[in-house]
Amino acid sequence: MNNFRNLNWSIFGAWLLLATIGLFAIYSATQGPVSEFLPDFIQNNFSKQLVFVALSIALVLGFQFFAPRSYMQLSYIFYGIGLILMICTLLFGVEINGAKSWIRIGGFNLQASELMKIATILATAQYLTSRRDISAENIRYAFIAVLMILVPTVFIILQNDFGTAIVFLALIPVMLFWSGLPYGVSIYIVSPALILYLTVFDWRLGAIATVLISALIFFVQKRPWLTFTSLITGIITVVGVNLALTDILQPHQIARITAFTNPAFDPTGAGWNVIQAKTAIGSGGLLGKGFMEGTQTQLKFLPEQWTDFISCVVGEEFGFIGLGLLVLTFLFLFLRLLNLAGNHKHPFAQLVTVSVAAVFFIHFIINIGSATALLPVIGIPLPFVSYGGSAFLTNSLMLAICLNMDLHKRDFSIYR
Amino acid sequence: MNNASKRTRTSIIALQAIMVMLCLVVLGRIFYLQIIQYDIYDELGDKNSIRQEYVEPARGLIYDRNGKLLVDNQPIYSITITPVNFEDKNIPLLSRLLEEPDSLINSLVQDAKRYSRFRTSKLISDIDFKAFSLIQENLWQLPGIGHQIDSKRNYPSSITGSHIFGYLREASETDYREEKSIRLGDKIGKSGLELIYQNNLKGELGVNYLKVNALGQSLGKFSDQKNTKPPVQGDNLITTIDADLQEFAETLMKGKSGGVVAMNPNTGEILALVSSPEYEVKKLAGRIDKEYWQFINSDSTRPLYNRAISSRQPPGSTFKPLMGIIGLHLGIVTPETEIYNSGYYIRGRPYKDLADPGLYNMESAIANSSNTYFLTVMDKIATSGQLNAWSKLAKDFGLGIPNNIDLPSANRGILPDSTYLDQRFGKRKWGLGDVLNFGIGQGLVSASPLQIAQMTSSIVNGGYKIEPHLLRAIENAEGKIEQKSSKIEKIDWVKEEYLSTVKKGMRRNVLEGSGRFYAAIPDIEVSGKTGTAQNPFGFSHGWYTSYAPSENPEIVVTVFLENAGFASISAVPVASLIIEKYLKGQVDRQWLVNYVLNFEPKEDNSEN
Repeated sequence: MNNFRNLNWSIFGAWLLLATIGLFAIYSATQGPVSEFLPDFIQNNFSKQLVFVALSIALVLGFQFFAPRSYMQLSYIFYGIGLILMICTLLFGVEINGAKSWIRIGGFNLQASELMKIATILATAQYLTSRRDISAENIRYAFIAVLMILVPTVFIILQNDFGTAIVFLALIPVMLFWSGLPYGVSIYIVSPALILYLTVFDWRLGAIATVLISALIFFVQKRPWLTFTSLITGIITVVGVNLALTDILQPHQIARITAFTNPAFDPTGAGWNVIQAKTAIGSGGLLGKGFMEGTQTQLKFLPEQWTDFISCVVGEEFGFIGLGLLVLTFLFLFLRLLNLAGNHKHPFAQLVTVSVAAVFFIHFIINIGSATALLPVIGIPLPFVSYGGSAFLTNSLMLAICLNMDLHKRDFSIYR
Repeated sequence: MNNASKRTRTSIIALQAIMVMLCLVVLGRIFYLQIIQYDIYDELGDKNSIRQEYVEPARGLIYDRNGKLLVDNQPIYSITITPVNFEDKNIPLLSRLLEEPDSLINSLVQDAKRYSRFRTSKLISDIDFKAFSLIQENLWQLPGIGHQIDSKRNYPSSITGSHIFGYLREASETDYREEKSIRLGDKIGKSGLELIYQNNLKGELGVNYLKVNALGQSLGKFSDQKNTKPPVQGDNLITTIDADLQEFAETLMKGKSGGVVAMNPNTGEILALVSSPEYEVKKLAGRIDKEYWQFINSDSTRPLYNRAISSRQPPGSTFKPLMGIIGLHLGIVTPETEIYNSGYYIRGRPYKDLADPGLYNMESAIANSSNTYFLTVMDKIATSGQLNAWSKLAKDFGLGIPNNIDLPSANRGILPDSTYLDQRFGKRKWGLGDVLNFGIGQGLVSASPLQIAQMTSSIVNGGYKIEPHLLRAIENAEGKIEQKSSKIEKIDWVKEEYLSTVKKGMRRNVLEGSGRFYAAIPDIEVSGKTGTAQNPFGFSHGWYTSYAPSENPEIVVTVFLENAGFASISAVPVASLIIEKYLKGQVDRQWLVNYVLNFEPKEDNSEN
């Protein structure tokens, strides 16, 4: 049964390609001429990452010997352990870059929130697919599922890790949608985020989006009350954002938002990261400045260039060709994962695979969006590319689960 | 296909469509940044990491007429600041490293911010090497702070020359607002030759490009930049100053107050120029010693005041030779005309004449400084309505007009004519009484020592107008030497016979007149004329203008001593020694040097 020939090697290959691009970028960002300005522990990042990539290859391949049933049954236990780890992090955690997301275990920093991602996906999927009659259409089931996601989210917010919290929150509509939430309601849940995003630029865009989304909901669902509620929610969002921008938010918070909509307003302060990131990518041009030749990277104009701004390193040194390849590789990975989900007969496998794809995608969009100033700067790593051992390991584990379920999809369907 | 799997299919396609769309947005964004806006960001990237840096050229050197180095440059250590990268919270650290009070550093930082937030300027210069090394070591803690080695003026010769060289000071706010090439912290000439020849001396700024990181640390030169430009050294000045003579004159003038001008009468080249008291131009090089600066600005002896060219005093009897020339030209007297001195010249009131009573012709009137003779001449000029003609003729000798010497703040003096007197007293409110004493160089007539030297030169060089100047030649960075030409022009109305009469009188002044005690030098024929500027506030000011050799003179020396009383015992020996030194190369009369060095003025207002 463990026929490795049946492993989805294209996904494995895409994963390995991303890890390789990441290693090159991390090497350049920490070992290049820039290393002169970096403390030793950051210069060690490359070798640490290399170890984690090697470990992860072993993990992904080794994991294929498990049967999906084993972790399916253990998912609630994982979830419980995960929550305990989260609490421990809150109590005994180490703070890095303002977020208290790590616990020190034997000289190794563990980011429990990364593990929690897997645990939450597995447990919530397990819950939502445990019985045939469970559907997100039923408000009770939906509520429990939402709660299962929200509890770790609260811990993550308490840890001050806003980026990861967003990823968890984004899981809610995806998982509910997959579990039978009607299209219209799903759109409705997502709509405030989109309207908020547009309103920050211009309230008129937010207003137009409100009308269009309500129209779409009516068109999809034909439910006047839902349409009306959506319209009201949209209006409240637009008005609320405007009020927040003018009256409620503190000046330093407004400065952050201005830095996003107009970075030139404060180029050396709040706008610095955005301008430097755009400059790094833009100055890369078609072919890039060459490996370890990027002036923005090597002269330390980029903040956190081995994690949150790693795509700038790729963009600057390998140009449009390099960054384009990175984006396309990700797209390939997302589409293939969704295809895998489509091939599953088992709803658990479907839901987990879709959720994993969604988590990767949200990471990807927020990370690249921040670096290219499509989104405000939210510190979040790029899966498989950014430096970070826990993240790499858990992301690989998530992928390993997807590959494992795919490899075992024939015998797995028996458990239906 | 059942409902559930249909929904799954649709959902997957919907999700895939969303992902493809958003990835296309991202790709489009990247394409926009990297391909369409490439030029903008490429330039931004360069601006970020490549910093323009000016390379200061070496300021031009100053030499004496014989190629002796008088002024050069010496390296000093400076700290620079780029305010935009600097955080005010680092001020205490910075002041601790520099061992300066917080308040000083803070005010310097604020000055730099006012100058420009983005341009790098000098924060503090001429710090000692220890502080400089400390700053260098701690640069990583001090973003926005840089260091630089530049130079200050150094004066290797033993002359002081403060009133010749002048001093440099950091450009003021108005300076750099007016002149684009000046930056805050740049030193520019503020007086003397440094000011007049600032544009020659300063050279051309070089431009370098440096790679810098986000903390502003320099990572070495960025060579392949087409705009890189090496600095061009400033032009060297070769002056007309004779360093040995200058040094000697300065020694003689120590402790006295006044001015000395030694000049080549044939060319206008200034051989030595001393104004005493001097200030120490050395103390104004590098970082300004604030206390010293305040002292020289406020001291009652006014050391910054250049008495040799800026003071304006009645020339007294030194004016008489010129009066003689004008009297001859206007036909009021001939060389043979004799005028009787009774001890007084009476015109409305008695004018005392210290010359022995008796008959005087022009020669003996100059030799013995008879007032009666020249009062009579002036009387006749004024009463025959020739006051303005007199004034015009005298101006040909450089009095009452600007002399265009290449030093700042030279005084043009006063040589009155009717227009001037009308302005001064009101139309028809002045009379003969106000004019008469012009004839003996008193009253409103006034001149600087330089002007008297210039007048004397024109008398003794055969009647040529000369332009007094300090610059002999300019040597540019390539070593090309350009001689400075000065205009020499015959005064057309001056006849040789006028001059020879007057010169004989001046020779006799040394032999038998008031100059006879100290003026004569063994083996050298010297001529001269003493004078006294009456000073209502104290001791008279003494004048002496002299030249040698009497035939074909090579040097004119004019000495003006404030509050020194008798010129014959104060100013005369100074001039005499300078002439001896110049013509013989050494001074044999050491006793006279000692006399001058220990001179104490004795009051006597009576001499003319």
